[in-house]
Amino acid sequence: MRNIFKEYVVEFIICAIAIILMLFNPNKVMAGLIYAVKMYISLFLMIFSIAFLSGFISEVIPPNTIAKIIGRESGWKGILIGAVFGTFMIGPSYVFYPLFRDLIEKGAGINIIATTIGAWAIKVQWIPFAVAILGWKFVLVFNLLIFIYAIASGFVVDLFTRS
Amino acid sequence: MQNLITGLVMLFLTVSLYIVYLHKDRLKLKKALKKGSRNFLQNSIRIFAIFVIIGILQNFLSKESVGNFLLKFSGIKGILAGTITGAIMMAPVATGYPISSYLLENGATISLVSSFLASWVMIGIVSISLEIKNLGKRFTIARNLFAFISIIIIALLMEVLL
Repeated sequence: MRNIFKEYVVEFIICAIAIILMLFNPNKVMAGLIYAVKMYISLFLMIFSIAFLSGFISEVIPPNTIAKIIGRESGWKGILIGAVFGTFMIGPSYVFYPLFRDLIEKGAGINIIATTIGAWAIKVQWIPFAVAILGWKFVLVFNLLIFIYAIASGFVVDLFTRS
Repeated sequence: MQNLITGLVMLFLTVSLYIVYLHKDRLKLKKALKKGSRNFLQNSIRIFAIFVIIGILQNFLSKESVGNFLLKFSGIKGILAGTITGAIMMAPVATGYPISSYLLENGATISLVSSFLASWVMIGIVSISLEIKNLGKRFTIARNLFAFISIIIIALLMEVLL
């Protein structure tokens, strides 16, 4: 029991906050809970697949396979794979964090994972909507700068985690 | 809809991997399934908790209140206010675009809007515990600190370039 509490401290705190807020404004908290359930349902297949995909990666796939494709030694090819994957994947990046953890354990480069998370900030699926509201120039320059940041982020995070 | 399609593709990929491996090593596959179901339960609880915060935040912070709060700032203070507010916002960024256009229409600087939007997609305070748990403290601190610095640089560059 104590272990469960330790493992999920943050989640218990969130639960407590929700209950306290419920006393002040039950309608808004209920609407928030409904939003959470809807989000979970819409991302269910992704969350489900990621769980079993990381199970497969950590138990079945030999380490050198991952390292060869997206290991630190894969160089620019690996960085590019990470950047492109991050740019085009949809859904919140934190849903993929458990998968990234298993990939790193199996030899994926920290620089490549950091670049992937960085490039996640480019929301390809929202670009038409963003252009309609903010204009071409804003969206183009903005996403170009984020792409440069994503590549740089890989080098910086790698440098700080290695020492 | 896009989430559903991506989810189906990922499910197909995962199931195919398991099926292809079925003839090779059933014992390892059993371990993978066991680990997968444990992952699924754990990830579900953690991710759902994040969705709850996002949902509650969304209902307590209206578009107008966020917009009007940010309109009080300009210059470097505006960039900082945009960054901090953007880091708290976690819902899909599509909700951020209308707030941004509201800000621009009411005279906010490009740098404020850029920092707000960049921070929205680059930093997530709500998901930080998940990041630390999965990727480690060093990774999380380095990544978010560098993102923070980059957001300020991006905001300044956007002001100059646009």
